[in-house]
Amino acid sequence: MKTLIDKIILVILLLAFLTSIFLIFAWVPPIKASNPAEQIAQRIFYYHVPSAWIGFLAFFVVFIGSIAYLWKRERKYELLSVASAEIGVLFITLVLLTGPVWAKPVWGIWWTWDARLTSSLVLWLIYVAYLMLRRYLPDGNKRANLSAVVGIIGFIDVPIVYYSIRWWETQHPKAVMASSEGGLAAPMFFVFMFSLAAFTLLYVYFMRVRYKLLVMEDSINKQIKEMEIL
Amino acid sequence: MLKPSLAIVQKDLRMEFRSKESILAMWIFSLLIFVIFNFTFEVSRLVMLEIAPGLLWVAFIFSGMFGLNHSFAVERENGNLRSMALMPVTGGSIYLGKFLSVTIIMLLFETLIFPIFVIFYDLQLTATLFLLIPVILAGTIGFTSLGTILSAVSVHTRNQQILLSLLLWPLVSPIIIWSVNLTSMVLAGEILTNFLPLLIRIIAFDVIFFTISFMLFDYILED
Repeated sequence: MKTLIDKIILVILLLAFLTSIFLIFAWVPPIKASNPAEQIAQRIFYYHVPSAWIGFLAFFVVFIGSIAYLWKRERKYELLSVASAEIGVLFITLVLLTGPVWAKPVWGIWWTWDARLTSSLVLWLIYVAYLMLRRYLPDGNKRANLSAVVGIIGFIDVPIVYYSIRWWETQHPKAVMASSEGGLAAPMFFVFMFSLAAFTLLYVYFMRVRYKLLVMEDSINKQIKEMEIL
Repeated sequence: MLKPSLAIVQKDLRMEFRSKESILAMWIFSLLIFVIFNFTFEVSRLVMLEIAPGLLWVAFIFSGMFGLNHSFAVERENGNLRSMALMPVTGGSIYLGKFLSVTIIMLLFETLIFPIFVIFYDLQLTATLFLLIPVILAGTIGFTSLGTILSAVSVHTRNQQILLSLLLWPLVSPIIIWSVNLTSMVLAGEILTNFLPLLIRIIAFDVIFFTISFMLFDYILED
């Protein structure tokens, strides 16, 4: 049941991602690197970093949705949190997949127990556990309450996890966007922002579709229950 | 507020000392971890000393799961969870009671397993070893403060035991990382300048985790 807005977003997304692939592979100048493999591998940065940002955004929405649920007790906040948690896990999975693809040619290894990598994996595990919890519980207020509690504790834990592992030696490239010294060159910055916008729109689209699906599931379940009573 | 909590502590400890269910299981399980570890990693004494701090905490948290699982599993029998929710006290005081009893049981178990650890890994008994007391205390409190609320969450599921591990371990990992760091400092006899700041950091996060859990516990009890 796609509305007109959904269709429009889908078309924009299609165009945006095609454009971003063109920008990343044909338009933006490659970075200065002695290793030619690194020059190619670096281009994954434009998908890797936005995925991470959107993953964090999604988990923040889980946090806000969980608080709103415990406060207002409205089903919509519960569904919003669940939808966002699923999508967040998806994006962090993308981060964990694109990272090794970059690391293999540049570091020579797929994975290392580095600070950033480890904390991202722990983050992923926290929200997978959140989704598992929901799977093991029957639908109802109990499930909504318990998952909201975990959604809140989980998000508060995220900065602590990052902080606890931070003092480890990190090989991971510095956060170029946040650094004071220069940062990205103008064309790179433009492509990055373009990707980020595309990923944000993708998140919005996924949220709309998943949320609607959850509402539909709900109404079907309700009808089944009514039929059972009859 | 403290009275109902103390009543829960009293009940839990009385049950534990009559059956010795948790402590005995935890103690034997830790012993098994040491033995299995020895089979699977045949390492030299030097390497052993390096990994001993991690091993100690692995034993603590793996065995600690027994205590945490047990803590709310006993309440599920005979519908005690519902009676708890009906008690005219706040969720916070029930949380406090459960937290205290689990923590006391775990600290007792740790006291009992530590001498075995010292013998197995031939640790030097020096005065600095006393510095382990605040480290173990702070680490354990962090583990149980999060563990108690997550045990109350997972007890409602079919797969209680595995789910508690899935929820707790990633969340408690910062506390464990710092505790292992501090333990290695103490065991190596190199108390660095960052010993105290690190310890204070664990305590700070203990307080954070405890406060959040204390505040959120009401929502877990209600139906």
